[in-house]
Amino acid sequence: MTITEVKEASTARAVLAASERRRPLASRPPRDLQRTFQLVLATIWLLDAVLQLQPFMFTRGANGFSGMLTNLAAGNPSWFHRVVTWNASIVYHQPILTDAAFAGIQFLIAFGIIYKRTLKPALVLSIVWAIGVWWFGESAGEIFQGRATPFGGGPGGVLFYAVLAVLLWPSDGSDKPFVAARTVGVTVAKAVWVVVWGLLAVLALAGSGRSPQALHDLIAGVNNGQPGWLARIDRSSESLFLHHGTTIAILLAIVCVVVASGVFMPPQIAQITVVLAIVVFALIWIAVQNFGGILAGGATDPNSGLLVMFLALIYWPLTTDRATPSADSAPLVLETKED
Amino acid sequence: MAMSTPSSLYYLFGVIMLAVAAYCLTLLTLSLATNRPAGRDVEISHIFMGVAMAGMFVGQWAFGRNAVWELIFGVLLVWFVVQSIQSIRQYGLHLPHALIHAIMNFAMLLMYWYPMGSSSASGAMSMSSGGPKLDPGLAFVVAFILFASAVFTLASPNKGASHFGSHAPAWAVVGTSGTDAEHHDAAAGSSAALRIEQAMATPSLVDVSHVVMCVGMGFMLLLMT
Repeated sequence: MTITEVKEASTARAVLAASERRRPLASRPPRDLQRTFQLVLATIWLLDAVLQLQPFMFTRGANGFSGMLTNLAAGNPSWFHRVVTWNASIVYHQPILTDAAFAGIQFLIAFGIIYKRTLKPALVLSIVWAIGVWWFGESAGEIFQGRATPFGGGPGGVLFYAVLAVLLWPSDGSDKPFVAARTVGVTVAKAVWVVVWGLLAVLALAGSGRSPQALHDLIAGVNNGQPGWLARIDRSSESLFLHHGTTIAILLAIVCVVVASGVFMPPQIAQITVVLAIVVFALIWIAVQNFGGILAGGATDPNSGLLVMFLALIYWPLTTDRATPSADSAPLVLETKED
Repeated sequence: MAMSTPSSLYYLFGVIMLAVAAYCLTLLTLSLATNRPAGRDVEISHIFMGVAMAGMFVGQWAFGRNAVWELIFGVLLVWFVVQSIQSIRQYGLHLPHALIHAIMNFAMLLMYWYPMGSSSASGAMSMSSGGPKLDPGLAFVVAFILFASAVFTLASPNKGASHFGSHAPAWAVVGTSGTDAEHHDAAAGSSAALRIEQAMATPSLVDVSHVVMCVGMGFMLLLMT
């Protein structure tokens, strides 16, 4: 292309741009909700990847990442104890190498989800990685220790990444009745919802989930280093759990059952149950999980509260049909280099 | 136990920040040479951010008084807030393109107002470790917004809008992404500059520079929690 041609083409584009800007705005095109949720998932993976670069992650010893992993081994059956400590010992001996690799994989997942060409491999990688982290890094959500209460993140925050990857697997079609059903279908999506909330209900009551002292200790264990306003919230919730812990655990189980059944209700009632789920887990995420410990500078992920809320959002009943924007209606992109 | 974060990680981030600043300086120079007015505010903003962030990651690279940097980012913050307001007044309620740049400049101000302690790799920022501490909740929220901006910028069909957005909502100017819409004021500028600009100011590159800046700033904010 000659310089003259470049100038002419550029001038034409500038004129086109000016006319476009003066054009009265058309109505906003429908947003591809599944794509939007995929990008939100990528954002959370990006957050996780950057959290993996925190100084203590590269630190060897009790105050480091390997120490955190070792602490999770206590209370497990001996065979599983060995699995967790084996993983922790690898991290202990090669903290920089392993942590850089862990961060790299999470960056790969985050940026892989962004591009449509790499979306599916990235989602597959995220499922494999999530299950691996759940088993080796989260001590299987502390299920074997009987401490897998939803208040603390049970059955393991990282498992929700895998569930979200499955439910947000890309496909064309309608987002109705909710985005989660777009790929796997309504029946499977409803089954997943019931299993998730049924499991949360069981874990709220099983093991230490209903024990006031255990829940009190749970909060006491995470409130070190929190900002003042969050520490004040912690003190209130510690007191609440110490005196009404069992009652609150039973209430949470009831809420989980109600939310689980919401998916079979008419859309308006289902919306109420989704709001209930989001509000309850927002409270848990803030007042009990303390944002996964991120604000205290000692977290590898935001814990389950944020992800449960995210999961609830993709089950939001849509009362109007929102078909996936077709390729024809996709925004036109003019790439300078291709001109 | 002393922090064992490899210092090379901070140096890597510092070098990347400087690379973004150098890239934006090149774009700014080219835009002056070709009389392309669009995106200069973002380029100026990214130049200052890149240099300042490099000084935060590597203390020895920091220079200038904090008050001067605060003044620069304060002015840029006001500029982008005004741009956002104008965009909303012109196009109705939406998330203006300029808003993320306002948030980025706000983040820079936070970093100067609440310098982090000795846990940083930065010598410059560790000077006032005894001062007030940035609320980790605010740092987390701003960092999350920056990460979201990075992700949605890369996924946006409106390539190049991170630098050359017309401050109109993306869906209102589809097909007019900055490098196409306003980037080439072909009537002016030297042909050599135009050719170089064609090569340098690709939509993908300018988006990547924005994404790198967002991730670097988000990382620094999380380090401050």
